[in-house]
Amino acid sequence: MKKINVLGLITFFVLVLVNLPFLVIIPSSFTAAGYLAFPPEGFSWQWYEMILDRPEFIDSLWISLKLATVTAILATFLGTLAAFALSKYKFRGSGIINALMLSPLTVPSLIIGISALLFFTRIGIAGTFTGLLLAHMLISIPYVVRLVLTGLSSFDYTLEKAGYMLGAHPFRVFWDITLPLLRPAIVSGMIFSFLTSFDNVTVSLFLVAPDTTTLPLAIFTYMQETLDPLVASISSVVILLSLVFIVLLEKVYGLERLFGLNSQSH
Amino acid sequence: MSKRLSVTLLTAPAMILLLGVFILPMLMMLLLSFQDENQAFSLHNYSLFIQDPYYLEILWRTIRVSLWTVLVSLLLGFPVAMYMAQATGKMRGIVTMLILAPHLISVVIRNFGWVVVLGEKGWINETLTSLGLIDQPLRLLYNELGIVIGLTDSFIAYMVLAIATSLYAIDPSLNKAASILGASRIRTFFSVTLPLCLPGIIAGTTLVFSLSMSAFVTPALMGGTSVKVLPVIAYEQIMATLNWPLGAALAFLLLGSTILLVTLYTKLIETKRYKEVFAS
Amino acid sequence: MTKVIDVELRGIMKKFQSNVVVQNFNLQVEQGEFISFLGPSGCGKTTTLNMIAGFLDPDGGDLLIKGQRMNGVPPYKRELGMVFQTYSLFPHMTVAENIAYGLKLRKVNKQEMQERVNRVLSLVKLPNVADRYPKQLSGGQRQRIAIARALVIEPSLLLLDEPLSNLDAKLREELRDELKRLHHEIGVTTIFVTHDQEEALALSDRIVVMNHGFVEQIGTPLEIYNQPASEFVHTFIGKTNRLEGEVIGIDGDVLTLRTTGGMLVKAAKQQRTVALHEKVIIFIRPEKIKLTDSAVSEEANRVKGHLQLASFLGSYTECEVKVGEHTLSVKVQMTDSSVDRQEGQTVYCQWNADDVLVMPAGRG
Repeated sequence: MKKINVLGLITFFVLVLVNLPFLVIIPSSFTAAGYLAFPPEGFSWQWYEMILDRPEFIDSLWISLKLATVTAILATFLGTLAAFALSKYKFRGSGIINALMLSPLTVPSLIIGISALLFFTRIGIAGTFTGLLLAHMLISIPYVVRLVLTGLSSFDYTLEKAGYMLGAHPFRVFWDITLPLLRPAIVSGMIFSFLTSFDNVTVSLFLVAPDTTTLPLAIFTYMQETLDPLVASISSVVILLSLVFIVLLEKVYGLERLFGLNSQSH
Repeated sequence: MSKRLSVTLLTAPAMILLLGVFILPMLMMLLLSFQDENQAFSLHNYSLFIQDPYYLEILWRTIRVSLWTVLVSLLLGFPVAMYMAQATGKMRGIVTMLILAPHLISVVIRNFGWVVVLGEKGWINETLTSLGLIDQPLRLLYNELGIVIGLTDSFIAYMVLAIATSLYAIDPSLNKAASILGASRIRTFFSVTLPLCLPGIIAGTTLVFSLSMSAFVTPALMGGTSVKVLPVIAYEQIMATLNWPLGAALAFLLLGSTILLVTLYTKLIETKRYKEVFAS
Repeated sequence: MTKVIDVELRGIMKKFQSNVVVQNFNLQVEQGEFISFLGPSGCGKTTTLNMIAGFLDPDGGDLLIKGQRMNGVPPYKRELGMVFQTYSLFPHMTVAENIAYGLKLRKVNKQEMQERVNRVLSLVKLPNVADRYPKQLSGGQRQRIAIARALVIEPSLLLLDEPLSNLDAKLREELRDELKRLHHEIGVTTIFVTHDQEEALALSDRIVVMNHGFVEQIGTPLEIYNQPASEFVHTFIGKTNRLEGEVIGIDGDVLTLRTTGGMLVKAAKQQRTVALHEKVIIFIRPEKIKLTDSAVSEEANRVKGHLQLASFLGSYTECEVKVGEHTLSVKVQMTDSSVDRQEGQTVYCQWNADDVLVMPAGRG
């Protein structure tokens, strides 16, 4: 009993620690003072109003949202198709293709970023939205493939056979039976892709131009020069937006499962 | 439709993206790292690294910071994993959620939060000053300590998950068996629990080490301009100095040394017995 | 010769939240005795075992082992041996290391440790597996090693928590006999938890039958089988025919009963007295009923019926006989000369008045 309490205490401490940034940022965004302080002094919305005067933040928020949405849709589509092929058909080289699909996860984003920069410069799409999109799709696809493959691994293919026996066309079977059963995996792949793109700094850093700066990068750049409550207010907006998707993800799929943690709770 | 055609059609889009945006560029980058100013083949960028003590010092700092991050993550993460393994379903879910959710929010924002907490006029320094415990603000940021704190916050979840997964796999009756044979709780921990979650510890430590070695946003924001690690130097060579060949070489050197160290580490720890017990 | 009491449970009670899972458990286990806790899952047998082992603390009552009160003493200070359902061998230790673990904790010297490990390995008839890892052994071998590991410390008491339930039928029987042999050889006081009545009947000196946290009956296998204290005990152990009825006559030692279906049954005097006109439940074991073609009765009871179903099961045939409204289950041994019967045939069922068990209805 006593031991559990010590563990509980440390656990509580760690949980506070990893969530401390948010517990600090959100209150300090409401400060009435002209400088960054925690605990905040007074209460005001002034730093939120200030965001509206900064077109670079508004613009980059739109770019981030647009980029994340398109990335999510395309990465999910491409990743799901590939996962289907890998799961359903046994073919020579499937092991290699599978490893290749997951490989962007194993290479540091530093290298992904630099190599994309080199290549995009050569073909003339460095600093463009297209370049960013391709890179973000690249780092999202492994998650989609892994999620959909997991979904398919527990998929009972005799259900498809049952569908054929009842007289359904293969496309009908896919649409009426396979897809609905895989929906949680596909939807969570999409949300996760969205968040991956929306959060990304390490790859984007190499690929943005002034007119394609994403929001996390705008914050990153701003932070290196000035530290004022404006960073707190714009960060709070991002936290809130991300939180919506995190809750969605938890509802659709469960974070525990998403991170490959088998829940054995009874 | 033939099987081959189906497979090709289904995998082609993703494969084209992977080959075009990932594999091909990486090969280009590798070639570039072997070029000198005149675009001729040269080992200059790599030999520079070995000869110049500046770079070796930076590499050593990168390793040092990463090792500290691994150590702190392990010491703090292990008890959390233990707690999760002992907790009931509901409590376990809450802890999992609270440790994982921060990971889905941008690292820039998390680092910013730490700046507010640790800065010279940050929460901790202000509190300690107002309590009269310190005269001068503590330097918690813009040094190696700052980087370790930031990286630990970023990567501790991976450590917790890896260890928790291996703890969940341990049959709880093994603890009972040890207990009835006469082992105290501490003894049971060291002779049963710890050896059996070794795979989780190895997975967690290597993952956190690799991630720490190549991180550059947190070191840039929490290490400041004076305490630089190798990925930051590589980033600067690419984006500021525009010496792309050197930047590319530095990135590969970083990757190479990480792989080397991780391989050495696993070779050292995975004894014959380990393989016999944990081989599937 | 005075009896030595090894384990004593005095009014043991356990609850989880407000749910009472073990109620007023009283038991004395003699030295060398083999006792089984038998009951369906959730009856409290495993909870009780866990309290004896020290993994749970009773919420009421006293637990004594070798005369010493054990409430609150942690398992690692109780000097007990235990074998678990899932074998629970340490996967990262070899067989020898597993067995030696308890000796190591007791700081036994190297040479003695070696000798005792070897001795106990030959006791369980696995002398050549010392250097293997548990995963290299079969299920039956693992369970033998688990038994060896529990026995090597020479425990004052051996606890067996459904040790056979993870094995297939054939191995289970083999290991059951093995357990019996081991118990005869070393005579360690043993408490065996099982939901398998055959295991309990075959192995035990005494059986504790449990249900819903209550002890229904404590007795020898014969007592439990032939003189069940409650309807639960009778129906849980072995198959039975259950009829409802009324006492319509008491004539000295013979009761006359009438079932709800109008069948008349003669029964010998019962342990539990019943009054005239009292509602009763009547039990007759299928193996006590004989099937004949002749109307000549050798027994007190004889009824005419139709054979509905006959399932040949090897050493015996299980028959269902329709008698009026009732369907009687009858077990016909292969030795019975008149075993080959056609379904639909008219047969006579007969049984002795001594083989009828009568219990007052509604009183347990």
